[in-house]
Amino acid sequence: MKLLTKTSLNFISASVIFFLVGSIVMYFSVRNIVAEDLQNRLLEQKNEFFNQVTKDKLEDLESEVVFIQESQKELVHSFSDTVLIVNKKYMLYRKLQFSYLHNKQHYKVSILQLQSQSDKLFKKIVIMNVGFAMLFFLIVFFVNRQSIKNSLKVFYSTINKLEDFQVNKAQELTLDTAEVDEVKKLNVVFERMSEQIRNDFEAQKEYTENVAHELQTPLAIISSKADELMQADNLTKQQMEQLALLLETTNRLSKINQSLIFLTKIDNRFYTEGTTFLLNELIKEKLVLFETAIEDKNLKIALDLKDETHIYMDPYLAETLVVNLLKNAIVHNEKGGDLSVKLANKCLIIANSGSALTFSEADIFKRFSRSEYSKKSLGIGLSIVKRICELYGFNIEYRFQENHIFAIKF
Amino acid sequence: MPNKHNILVVEDELELAKSTLSFLSENGFLPFHAKDLKAARKLLKQEKFTAVLLDLGLPDGDGMSLIKEIKNFKEEIGLIIISAKDALEKKVQGLELGADDYLTKPFFFSELNARLKSLIRRLNLEVNQELVCNEITLFPEQMKVLVHAKELELTAKEFGLLLYFVSNQNRVLSKTNLGEFMSSTYVDYGFTDDMVYTHIKNLKKKLAESNSKDYIKNVYGVGYKFTVA
Repeated sequence: MKLLTKTSLNFISASVIFFLVGSIVMYFSVRNIVAEDLQNRLLEQKNEFFNQVTKDKLEDLESEVVFIQESQKELVHSFSDTVLIVNKKYMLYRKLQFSYLHNKQHYKVSILQLQSQSDKLFKKIVIMNVGFAMLFFLIVFFVNRQSIKNSLKVFYSTINKLEDFQVNKAQELTLDTAEVDEVKKLNVVFERMSEQIRNDFEAQKEYTENVAHELQTPLAIISSKADELMQADNLTKQQMEQLALLLETTNRLSKINQSLIFLTKIDNRFYTEGTTFLLNELIKEKLVLFETAIEDKNLKIALDLKDETHIYMDPYLAETLVVNLLKNAIVHNEKGGDLSVKLANKCLIIANSGSALTFSEADIFKRFSRSEYSKKSLGIGLSIVKRICELYGFNIEYRFQENHIFAIKF
Repeated sequence: MPNKHNILVVEDELELAKSTLSFLSENGFLPFHAKDLKAARKLLKQEKFTAVLLDLGLPDGDGMSLIKEIKNFKEEIGLIIISAKDALEKKVQGLELGADDYLTKPFFFSELNARLKSLIRRLNLEVNQELVCNEITLFPEQMKVLVHAKELELTAKEFGLLLYFVSNQNRVLSKTNLGEFMSSTYVDYGFTDDMVYTHIKNLKKKLAESNSKDYIKNVYGVGYKFTVA
């Protein structure tokens, strides 16, 4: 939920509650005031009555709203509501009844006051009050909303800039200057943090490159010295075999090192440039490079690359992805086995025959997971594939159903 | 024998430089060593070089800066970058700046030798573009082989292997070495070290059929040697 929506909702819900409670309280208090006012007027008329009754005759005091009747006993002073039919219309009156003793005769005096007029007044007051309150709430609501929006303008621009921020891009994170202290502070913290992240990123990149250099150079020395030793004329078979193994191992070590550096580079989001290209063509192109191995293993190839699939990727990573998957499917295949590559509905499925895994299926993409039968493989190829898929948000799955099946959903 | 080619080796790692220098002199080159950019610049002014082997990570700066200088100074100097960095962008950048080749550490001297010889051929410095080894004559540009003046049909990979052997005569080339050479030269991802045997077997058979001497000798099952007396 947006901050503005959240604060607006809070404001509205609080306002509605206050408004309802306030309206109810106001309704009853105004009604009381109006009723009291009516009663006061009746009491004034009663005093008037007593003032005039001494001078005038009793009958003369009778009017449309004053009724005098003889009564047997003394009555208690009381207020009540009554309905009169005036001009064939029912009218609600407030009635004050009291007793008056005249010439030892009790009279019941009723003074009436039309209620509808007070009701109209009451209605007007209530409507005006509710109206003003609503207007007030609306104004406050919009003013408040606008002011929050204005104060958060820089905040939102900060969010947008943070979203666009990429640690491996050359440009620094520069945020707008804010008026609000909290946002100002936030921007300062973010700028400092991004600076730190960029520095760390640069340092890590440099470190990766240095590791490459530092490890590859000693490996080059070992390899060159072993190669030189091998050229001696008087070596025994055993010595020669040991030197060959030394060369092979050094070569392998260098490859592992290079692959790890490559993995680190993907992790560091080193490869972010991309182009859109046809995956079908790339697969066909790369498959050619495996001809020797395919012939050597006498593999039966089933290709289904009719569905044109365009993907957006760094070309080098795309190449690595395809090559590593094909290599895996060929290297771990058996003589005379099957290899099928299918591209349909933005999904690449590569299946190959081969004996079941000697480790858990869940570990297939983990570094250095490899089967007992292929000690020579580095065990990094598939984790590179997984990392590339993660980088681009592709979903990759592995399952074993007679064949090894890898499926990537682009 | 034409004049020996002067080769400048710019390498800060002394042990590697030592091996490289002795390998180069054994193979008929006249190598010079510079341990940093400063020394390299000085030597470039003093001597005439056919080619420079340039390491990128040097104590006094990035070797990349030297590429342009060398190419501006004398365009026909061959330049091979030898770097520990296998980064594609470095390779592209180096070649764009004017380097002729790029070799990643660790490398085999035989590979360096083959590339250096190929570079010198490409620079058109050798009068004879063909390589002659007794009855075998190779034409690298046309990928043609003559044995006893008769053309021998070879596949691209067999030709590559033969050229590699002829460029590195009397040298033990291990299975790893040959496998690396084949997969890097032919960008063949499925080329395993074991396939070297198959290819060499075929090559030997074809050479024997055209009455060539059996130069390619197996060395204790760990490698091969092109033996020329």
